[in-house]
Amino acid sequence: MSLTLHERAQYAGAPLASPAPAPAWTLSVRGLGKIYGDTSEESIAGTGPEFGTAVSPNTGAIVAAWGVDLDVAPGEALGVIGESGSGKSTVLRCIAGDEPATAGEMLFTDHGGSTERLDQLSPTERRRMRISDISVVYQDPALGLTMDVSAGGNVADPLTAAGWRNFGRIRSRATELLQRTEVPIARMDHPVKAFSGGMKQRVQIAKSLANDPSLLLLDEPTTGLDASVAAGVLDLMRGLLEETNVAAIVVSHDFSVIEMLTTRVIVMQHGRVVEAGLTDQLLEDPQHPYSQQLVAAARG
Amino acid sequence: MREMDSALDLQKELPEGRVLAVRGLTKDFTMHLVDGRVAHALKGVDLEVEQGEHVALAGPSGAGKSTLLRCVYRTYLTTSGAIGLRTSTGAVVDLATMPDWDVAMLRGREIGYVSQFLRAEPRRPVIEIVARAGIARGMERGEALDAAAVALRRVGIDEALWPVHATVLSGGQKQRVNIAAGTISPPRLLLLDEPVSALDPVNRVSVLDLIAGLREQGVAVLSVFHDLEAIEMLATRVVVVEGGRVAADGDPHEVLRANHGLAVAR
Ligand SMILES: Nc1ncnc2c1ncn2[C@@H]1O[C@H](COP(=O)(O)OP(=O)(O)OP(=O)(O)O)[C@@H](O)[C@H]1O
Ligand SMILES: Nc1ncnc2c1ncn2[C@@H]1O[C@H](COP(=O)(O)OP(=O)(O)OP(=O)(O)O)[C@@H](O)[C@H]1O
Ligand SMILES: [Mg+2]
Ligand SMILES: [Mg+2]
Repeated sequence: MSLTLHERAQYAGAPLASPAPAPAWTLSVRGLGKIYGDTSEESIAGTGPEFGTAVSPNTGAIVAAWGVDLDVAPGEALGVIGESGSGKSTVLRCIAGDEPATAGEMLFTDHGGSTERLDQLSPTERRRMRISDISVVYQDPALGLTMDVSAGGNVADPLTAAGWRNFGRIRSRATELLQRTEVPIARMDHPVKAFSGGMKQRVQIAKSLANDPSLLLLDEPTTGLDASVAAGVLDLMRGLLEETNVAAIVVSHDFSVIEMLTTRVIVMQHGRVVEAGLTDQLLEDPQHPYSQQLVAAARG
Repeated sequence: MREMDSALDLQKELPEGRVLAVRGLTKDFTMHLVDGRVAHALKGVDLEVEQGEHVALAGPSGAGKSTLLRCVYRTYLTTSGAIGLRTSTGAVVDLATMPDWDVAMLRGREIGYVSQFLRAEPRRPVIEIVARAGIARGMERGEALDAAAVALRRVGIDEALWPVHATVLSGGQKQRVNIAAGTISPPRLLLLDEPVSALDPVNRVSVLDLIAGLREQGVAVLSVFHDLEAIEMLATRVVVVEGGRVAADGDPHEVLRANHGLAVAR
């Protein structure tokens, strides 16, 4: 998010059509909301940080995300932090189109400069974007990969979905991607279920890059890996983010991951964004009580 | 509203040749985990730095010197007041209220910040750390690597250390890598917070020479040094900060004589 809290208050409700200040954002999200259960207005009241819950006292619905604003520019990574259940993955799923948002506007601009309102696309168009423009790397490789299929096959999948037909070209693109993510080519034809956790993540990253996406969504990409394995995957991602012009959103509980990969962060609590800032500012001078608590806990 | 007003004022506060104009800067820390206790670290600071000027902040421990530098760099959020910067393109911006993304861009291109400690990024070779600062300044990778080599030689970091991860360096070596990164090319504004505190006398002198040279190239420098000798050698003006306020501002020799003892008390 590019705005400080007091600026956010000032800009709250500003329509997307208003002249965006500096950069050409890859993604601009305004007022994103996702409710599980009764999606009527009634579900909103009584939820959020000031009530200490995301569950509606009126309807019992879960307000997993509400009023979420964020922007991310080409070549930049935005971090998302917040405790378990605060709505981080929900926001990513809504952006990716894995599930429809309840409310909000999402303006997306690809490498070529063409712009789409993600929230207004048909499900078919969303699926097309998910193949060609927006990729996700999940914490659980089983969500991003087909376990019985080989590494090469997994990476080929988005290529064929995007219309690639020539076997030789697909094979050489898959090889190139696996080399780039340091997966031994000798194991390219082995089913990924036989791979270690770190290696599965590398295959997932290779797959996510297949169609040269404009936006990369990383949901806890190193959580659950052994420290040394996580470090290798992290270094790989840092290199990719620095070398390419992809815009990235990184969800992580681990502040060292956030510090290493991102320049700006948003903090989520009970489905709301409670603070946005430069990553170093958020860690050195957190403003919101909840951010102060998170930073204190992380510093130990 | 406030943005409008301050932008208008700041144009006047920053005539050509002035790089930084701090106006009425206050910084409160609200500690929500300590019963919402509020510390008033800065209580209305006015300060300016011209191109080619070296302003040294002096004053007792806890006076707010580091806080001031960190507000300028936006590691700390300003509570009220303005931090006007005239960029190399002549634009006047308020670092206190500027959107985060713009600050991130501006930092890389125009502001060097060298603090007492390098919190070295994990698993990043020394040469890469310095070269990345060059890339942020707008250099091509090859050019940045060449400039990094020059900058590292200048601060006496042996070539054998270039591929080593910075996390394993000694304190003084880290500090010199930090200086090399901050000065890979002359920034518009250089912020120095005790940048030579961990250096031996020989390296200290060569780094102080380097900083003196930058000023001569037109860099505006705002610094904190805890030794009088460095201040006397480098500063063109001294600003004494006490209890979050400016207590004195003027010629180094006069200010230091009038406030002797205080300026370097730690
Ligand atoms: N399909 C669903 N149906 C009902 N509730 C859901 C569904 N998916 C998520 N939720 C709820 O939405 C809230 C936000 O979940 P989300 O997965 O976004 O949290 P998170 O911040 O990613 O947490 P974690 O750090 O544990 O991954 C939680 O209360 C969760 O139980
Ligand atoms: N992140 C922070 N959170 C809370 N209080 C802070 C923070 N940073 C600084 N302070 C407080 O602000 C005041 C000024 O501190 P600062 O570090 O700016 O002093 P200084 O003049 O640099 O001192 P020294 O010469 O010892 O480095 C101190 O009371 C300090 O405790
Ligand atoms: Mg999650
Ligand atoms: Mg200090």
